[in-house]
Amino acid sequence: MGARGTRARGASLTIAAAIAAVALALGLAACGDDTVGGGGNGEVTTAEAGNVTGNLTVSNWPGYIDPGENGTVAEFEDETGVNVDYIEDINDNEAFFGKLQPQLEQGQSGGRSIFVLTDWMAKQMYDLGYLQEIDHDDLPAVFENLAPTLRGPSFDPERKFSVPWQSGMTGIWVDTAKAPEIRSVNDLFDPRYKGKVTMLTEMRDTVPLVMKAAGVDPEEATNQDWFDAIDKIKSAADSGQIRRFPGNDYIVDLTAGNVVAAIGWSGDASLIENDNAEWRMPTQGCMLWSDNMVIPVGAPNTAAALGWMDFVYQPEVAADITEKVTYVSPVDGVRDLLANRDPQLAKDQLIFPTEEFQRNCSTQDSPPDIEPVNEAWQSVITG
Amino acid sequence: MSLRQRLVPYWLLGPGLLWLIVFFVVPMYFMGELALRSGSLTTGFTFTWEWSNLPASLSGHTEQIVRSFYYAGAATVLALLIAYPLAYAIAFRAGRFKLLLLFAVIAPFFTTYLIRTIAWKTILSDSSPLVGVLQTLTLVPPDGRVLATSGAVIAGLTYNFLPFMILPLYANLERLDLRLIEAAKDLYSSSRQAFLKVTLPLTMPGIVAGVLLTFIPAFGDYINAQLLGGTQQAMVGNVIQSLYLTQRDYPEAAALSFLMMALILAVVTVYIRFAGTGAFMGGKDEGTTDG
Repeated sequence: MGARGTRARGASLTIAAAIAAVALALGLAACGDDTVGGGGNGEVTTAEAGNVTGNLTVSNWPGYIDPGENGTVAEFEDETGVNVDYIEDINDNEAFFGKLQPQLEQGQSGGRSIFVLTDWMAKQMYDLGYLQEIDHDDLPAVFENLAPTLRGPSFDPERKFSVPWQSGMTGIWVDTAKAPEIRSVNDLFDPRYKGKVTMLTEMRDTVPLVMKAAGVDPEEATNQDWFDAIDKIKSAADSGQIRRFPGNDYIVDLTAGNVVAAIGWSGDASLIENDNAEWRMPTQGCMLWSDNMVIPVGAPNTAAALGWMDFVYQPEVAADITEKVTYVSPVDGVRDLLANRDPQLAKDQLIFPTEEFQRNCSTQDSPPDIEPVNEAWQSVITG
Repeated sequence: MSLRQRLVPYWLLGPGLLWLIVFFVVPMYFMGELALRSGSLTTGFTFTWEWSNLPASLSGHTEQIVRSFYYAGAATVLALLIAYPLAYAIAFRAGRFKLLLLFAVIAPFFTTYLIRTIAWKTILSDSSPLVGVLQTLTLVPPDGRVLATSGAVIAGLTYNFLPFMILPLYANLERLDLRLIEAAKDLYSSSRQAFLKVTLPLTMPGIVAGVLLTFIPAFGDYINAQLLGGTQQAMVGNVIQSLYLTQRDYPEAAALSFLMMALILAVVTVYIRFAGTGAFMGGKDEGTTDG
């Protein structure tokens, strides 16, 4: 017994010593670099152009391109000989940022040469020094065909680091069989629809829409305006008026008929298997946004990345993408091409919105002081 | 004993120990260190022994912590109530269907957790037959719903973690010496008494293991609350996810994770003491390693 006890003690001492040694080593290693985050990779670099060859990894959102043998990726590969790894691993701006941030901080992009990010997230990454700038001379097709309305967005007035992939509108999906009269975001607060309404977790979609419904212009909104709108949503959540705060899966409740109306995105018609579901432009206007192609720091083969950007800006290529994804194309000339191919599609206001249709819409932006507003919003959605 | 022989236990211990160091001790160290940093993502998080992160991470989140205990506790009790009779039936009454039934218990694992939880959204959706039946039985009010309520989250947790309760119980029940029950009956105990005084105490190790395997992951789960819950069902896992991914308050997220681990450890320690250390550790000392 005595011998056994000593041996056991010896073993536990060994283990403790090993753990201490590892901890010490890590502690020393950590001393070299004692800040987490903060960006600061030094000066901003410009993506280098060159021969479009080799391998290219593109990260995009699911279902955001025409797939298959005749799809855009295959076409690009045939034309240039570039081997493309097209991965659909972006489901959420925040989650994607959270996943890549530690690598970007080290100046690495996880092997990816292109990300597709919503305006405000592209801006946030740029401000942290995680993105490379783009020389317009390297992208002739892009700057020839880019829609004029998208040439100078407030988050990137000179399009220094972002090239739009697709644009869209945030408004209200309505089950017209159950609640045909819902037209305004204010209607979502009507007690008749208690527990039958959802709003997106995405703060920059939901909160400004509620603000607009109350007559506040989100582009001019103060922090107090954001807090007021958040308070309004919070009391609706507490009273059970709002059923839940979904992300992409708002589609599921709408398809199953669990809700009569949901704040949602304009291009999702093909995903909602409910014939009565209709996207409506809110009376007080919608939110406009774009998802943008950006080139992260440490991106391998930026020449091929630039080649890809320019390739998808050829109207014929962009038309194929639009036909499949049914969002708003940033490429001029797509409508004329589709008018021959599919006249019905070319008339769709959700894909080719007129200025008149979008007259009350606002561009998506962050609140003046993000942190406290985001904290207040998160406390509502994790209620 | 030769040196070689004496080294054998260490070789056996090696892979597991290395695993623990690389995937547990190291992340724990980083998490602990992160929890004591201050700053923001734009300025960078610097190590400043920021102990105030710990109490700060709890403020405003007590409701979700209490709720997590309630949901995980309710799911554990339900799982035990469902699993015990089931494991008992598989162990003693299933006959040649034993393997088939065991397979059926494990079969859901062939599909991912996420897909199974999303399937529950369909099963519990407002116009589903199941909800219709519940409404007819007046268990759910006519205009009421199941999805996006606490009940749905608890049901989801119970379902998802049920196999973790069944398997240890089955393993334990299967080894039960039936002669002991016969002996109890010979001594004039009723079936109920035999169960309470013989079967139940002898299966305590299985119950303890099952409860731990169910309660601990259920407490930290956030998928069920996110998919099956509504606006008032967030659990502490959802809060940590939000702190980490959307608010990017890494220190506070790490601090809260650490405190939750400490809390669970404390609860589990008390529980094991209460349930009897011997039961949890397997009862008797095998003592076969001594040469």
